[in-house]
Parts: sequence; C-alpha cells; structure tokens
Amino acid sequence: MAAMSNVPVADRLLVGRMAEGEDYALGELYDRYGKTLYALALAIVREPADAEEVVVDAFGQAWRQAAAFDPERGSVGAWLATIARSRALDMVRARGRRARAHERAAHLSEDGIATPIAGLGPDPGRGAERSEARRLVAQALAALPEAQRVAIELAYFEGLSQSEIAERLAEPLGTIKTRMRTGMEKLRGLLSPLLEGAA
Amino acid sequence: MTTAHEWQDLAAPYALGALAPEERRTFEAHLAGCDVCRAAVRSFAEVAGLLAYGAPSAEPPAGLRDRVLAEARRVRPIAVPRRRLSAAWLAAAAALLLALGAGITAWRMSGRVRILQRQLAAADSSKAAEDSTLAMLTGPQVHVVSLAGTGRTPSARVFWNHTRGRFIVLAFDLPPAPAGRAYQLWAIAKGQAPMSMGTFNTDAAGRATVVLPVAREITVLGFVDNCGLTEEPAGGSPQPTETPRLLGAWVHTD
Repeated sequence: MAAMSNVPVADRLLVGRMAEGEDYALGELYDRYGKTLYALALAIVREPADAEEVVVDAFGQAWRQAAAFDPERGSVGAWLATIARSRALDMVRARGRRARAHERAAHLSEDGIATPIAGLGPDPGRGAERSEARRLVAQALAALPEAQRVAIELAYFEGLSQSEIAERLAEPLGTIKTRMRTGMEKLRGLLSPLLEGAA
Repeated sequence: MTTAHEWQDLAAPYALGALAPEERRTFEAHLAGCDVCRAAVRSFAEVAGLLAYGAPSAEPPAGLRDRVLAEARRVRPIAVPRRRLSAAWLAAAAALLLALGAGITAWRMSGRVRILQRQLAAADSSKAAEDSTLAMLTGPQVHVVSLAGTGRTPSARVFWNHTRGRFIVLAFDLPPAPAGRAYQLWAIAKGQAPMSMGTFNTDAAGRATVVLPVAREITVLGFVDNCGLTEEPAGGSPQPTETPRLLGAWVHTD
C-alpha cells in the first residue's frame, strides 16, 4: 500500500547512527564493505581465520570510534579500509613480518599482489558498485608501469616503508620516492570516476 | 631545510603509510600548518582507500556478519547515545497511560511527564487504549514525534517502536482525504530525500489510529530528524508532491 522511496542511505549517515549505538547501521555498513575488507585483510594476513579476526576487530573499532569519524578527512570506505589495513598489518607484524615477507618476495615480483584482471570473475550477491570498483582498481593497477605498481603494493599490502622498499628492491631511496609519487598520481587520474563519487 | 617540493613528495607515501615513524611525525607537524600538503594527503588517502579493492576477491565466511554484530553488541560506542528514551521516562509514560485509563489526573507528575501528557492527551480514546497499541507505545525503544498544523487543528502523533519495527500513527481533526487520495507520512533525515513511511486516511470524524511497518531504509538510519505529512494520490507518491501540511521534529530525549 505504501509507496516506498528507494533512496540509498549515505555512508556517513550510517556512521552517525553507529555513533548513537544503532547496530542496524553497523550491519548495513558490513553489507556494503564487509566483503572488501575481508579480501583486503586476507591479502595482507593470508590466513582466513586471521582475516576474519581482522574484520571483526576493524568493524569493532569503527563502531567504537564512529563519533570521531570526520567526513572532511575522507570517505567512509577509505576510513574503514584504513582501519582494516592497519589492523591487518599489526597482526602480521605481531607474527613476525620479516620471515613471512621474504617468503612472499618471489611471488610479488611475478604476479604482484593485486588481482590480475583476467582473474576477476562476476561478483556474486550484492554490491554491483563495489564489483565495478574492483574492476576499475585492478585495471588502474595493471596500467601502471610495473616498478611503480610494485612500490605501491609493497607499501599498501605489506606495510613497508619507503626505505624498506628501497632495501628490498635494491634501488636508491630517491628512485622509490619518485615511483611512489608518480604511481599514486597516475592512479588518482585513472580512478577519478570513483573518487568523484566519494567527494 | 626541507623545501616545499620535498614536503609534497611525502604526501603520497604518507597516505600509503610508508613513512618511517620519525619521518611521519615530522611530516604531521608540517601538515598542521600547510593547506597544500593537507589537500594532497586527502586526495592520496582516497586513492589509497581504493587500493583495498585491488585485493584479490574473496568471499567472507557466512558467520562473519554475525560475529561483527555480536562483538559490537558487547561494547557501546564511545559517544553515549542521547536520543533514546530513558528507562525512567518510559516508566513515567507507562504510569501516565495507566493513570489516564483509570481516569486519574496526573497533576503531580514531573514537568517531563506533563510534556508527555500534552502529547498523549488527545489519545485518550478507546482506540488508543487498545492493548496491542498500548504495548507498542510503552515498549522499550520508542521515539515520538508531534506534528502540528499552522492553525488550531489538525494534529498527529507518530510513535516509532524500534523493537517491533512499527510506526503507530494517531491523527486528530484531520479531514479525510478525498476519494482517490490519501495522507502520506515522510521520514526526513538531514541531507537525504524524504523517505515514505506509508499512507493512511482518517475517518469521518477526522481521526486515525494506524500501524505502519518501518521500511528497511528507515530502520537502518535508526533516527530521522523530522516527520512530515502530505496529501498524495492513494497508494502514495515516491516523493512528496506538496509542502507538508503537518510537520514535526522527532523528540530528542535525554
């Protein structure tokens, strides 16, 4: 009987509801970002059980700190990703990062960490937008010169500092700095369709 | 020592979390006073945020959502919610309803209860006293809004029972909408288009007691700022087609 409008609730309003203790809002944010954060956590920690723990911790932190979320500083998606990544890296560090990182070094130079485009299948279930985001990000990363992509991925997915990356790749620090900045500028251009939506 | 150009070189690695702790602290001190670098960091941080989508796709286990919610229910957010009716207030509301039912005036009740009395005074008909409605009005987690017209009448009161996911609408002195038309209620959250709460009509006496299910999109908000009433074609409109005839702010209670 009632005609219901179909306006998606803005992410930042959901964060506001979380700050008021509405767990509906947390559930809704999980539905929007849970899969992305889980994939991110898994890419960093590599163990499904650890990735689950990271996701629970990350949403728990977002829940507790929702009142401190500042939309001026970025989108809700970026905020959640930052929390999850930081939790995941903490976990890896706690396990002894260096030992694991060396194991992975060989993989990285070959395939990179990010998904090869050919590996992106259709996204099951909800989240067509996020599936589109995955496609665009994979494309953008693939469009970068390999050296720039590797520098950015080592920083983002492995949590290495610029100096550590320089050491790992046996390149001068200045070179790494340039690659990172140039690569990020290119990504910013390539991903502008997604970034405009976030503003 | 560090030139402006060198500072800007740090924005991308900073957003990626790739500065050594010492470097990061120095850069953060610089950021506090540099709009240009802050803007650069903000834009790179959005790019970094998107890198999360660069992780290989993985399906989270089915139970993960429940774990996330269970964990959250163990702790409250740091900012204490201020918009819930307090237990004391609900107890007072229940007491008042009982008092009304027994025909006892509520003269000596607190100021806050007198506010509630005003809101409910018109709801003293037997309709409002139906058990199921009463239960919904007095249950936990109930929000209320009073909608006032510009003139003396009409008026409406809407209760939002969060536990049962129902709006309870009481309307008074609201002439029935003509044939083919209906009244439609709107949940209005700041910064959002109005969301339909449902439609109803009043009887010949201008009264209505209606229970409407709360749409999911409103449920996830948990709270809206205002409530409006418009007259629309029967069945409702996707968006209001006139300025609200009645409008009220949902009560924020301490």
